[in-house]
Amino acid sequence: MLSDTVKTQLEDLIKKNKVLLFMKGNKHFPQCGFSAQVIGILKETGTKFETVNVLQDPAVRDGIKELSSWPTIPQLYVDGEFIGGCDIVKEMYASGDLQKKLGVEVKAVVPPTISLDEGAVKAIKDADDGSGDVLRLTIGSNWQYDLSFDAKKPDDVVVVANGVSVCFDKESAKKSEGLKISWVETPDGGAFRIENPNEPARVKSTTAAEVKKWLDDGKKFSFFDVRTEEELATAKVAQATHFDGEKSLAGIDKDQTVVFMCHHGMRSRTAADRILKDGYKNVFNLEGGIDSWSKTVDSKVPTY
Amino acid sequence: MGDIRETMRLAIVEKIPDGQILVDNGSGGGHFTIQVVSPVFAGKSLLESQRLVLGAIAHLMKGDGAPVHAIDKLTTKTP
Repeated sequence: MLSDTVKTQLEDLIKKNKVLLFMKGNKHFPQCGFSAQVIGILKETGTKFETVNVLQDPAVRDGIKELSSWPTIPQLYVDGEFIGGCDIVKEMYASGDLQKKLGVEVKAVVPPTISLDEGAVKAIKDADDGSGDVLRLTIGSNWQYDLSFDAKKPDDVVVVANGVSVCFDKESAKKSEGLKISWVETPDGGAFRIENPNEPARVKSTTAAEVKKWLDDGKKFSFFDVRTEEELATAKVAQATHFDGEKSLAGIDKDQTVVFMCHHGMRSRTAADRILKDGYKNVFNLEGGIDSWSKTVDSKVPTY
Repeated sequence: MGDIRETMRLAIVEKIPDGQILVDNGSGGGHFTIQVVSPVFAGKSLLESQRLVLGAIAHLMKGDGAPVHAIDKLTTKTP
């Protein structure tokens, strides 16, 4: 049961703070995905807000659920009124009602400029079944991309690029300025590649076939093999250089493309992750390693 | 997991007898998605509608070892 002390404490907090979020964790370190989403939205509105970390006090955690008749956290209060949880806040933000409540302006989303290469345009046109659904690109909170056909929604931001219409929800649109969609051939047909300059640097994936093509095209990049000397003696790719830590990186520009390869793609990913921390921006992991090179590019390279 | 889904569904039926209720597994342990279609939501705000459903299962979400940890997605619709 909600004790009078806790009730008074909570009501006092709600009264004193114009915008108050009961959440797990704090503004800087939300400890649950739903709380993190609401924090993201509140920050985006530019409003001033306070938070209460319910994980610090079970009495507060249970108390607020009872006071609001709402069994989940986060919970948003504005001007003493219970607004709702994550779903409701998201919906109200998309419709502009949240901004109205907060007394802030609805920021117009500037449609991003994006581009598609010929292969991507063709693949999209081939996939369109003519049902009137739109092509939608959604970018998740961890920069996961989802490209799909579905119904257009009223709050969508629509961008036309190279003759193709692409729909975004507002959050995804904000993260897409300068985004490029291209089509890459893969052993099992082909796939979309999305390059997004807004994304924090991370290790990108490449395939043996693609690296072979880069070599054939004379693309400028560094190609490192992180395997041991013994393994190199067993099997090697002529164009790849043995990686010797910092020595190997001397003189390589931070913007230059660097590809790492190992036996199956695990050790090379670790090496790739490490140089990302040194500020290299275009770091690729050759997925499947030299094993995949042997199977898809050059069968003369022995497998082991 | 099947049992807890059925428990949730029955708890919602008790509050919303004319509802078509779908309870599914969500993104992980103790996470679920719920869809309820019922005329009872007519004229209600999203907050009121969600509160009606969440209120029905609140007892399953209480305390530390609660069987229902979070609702990933809750949809309330009128038929």
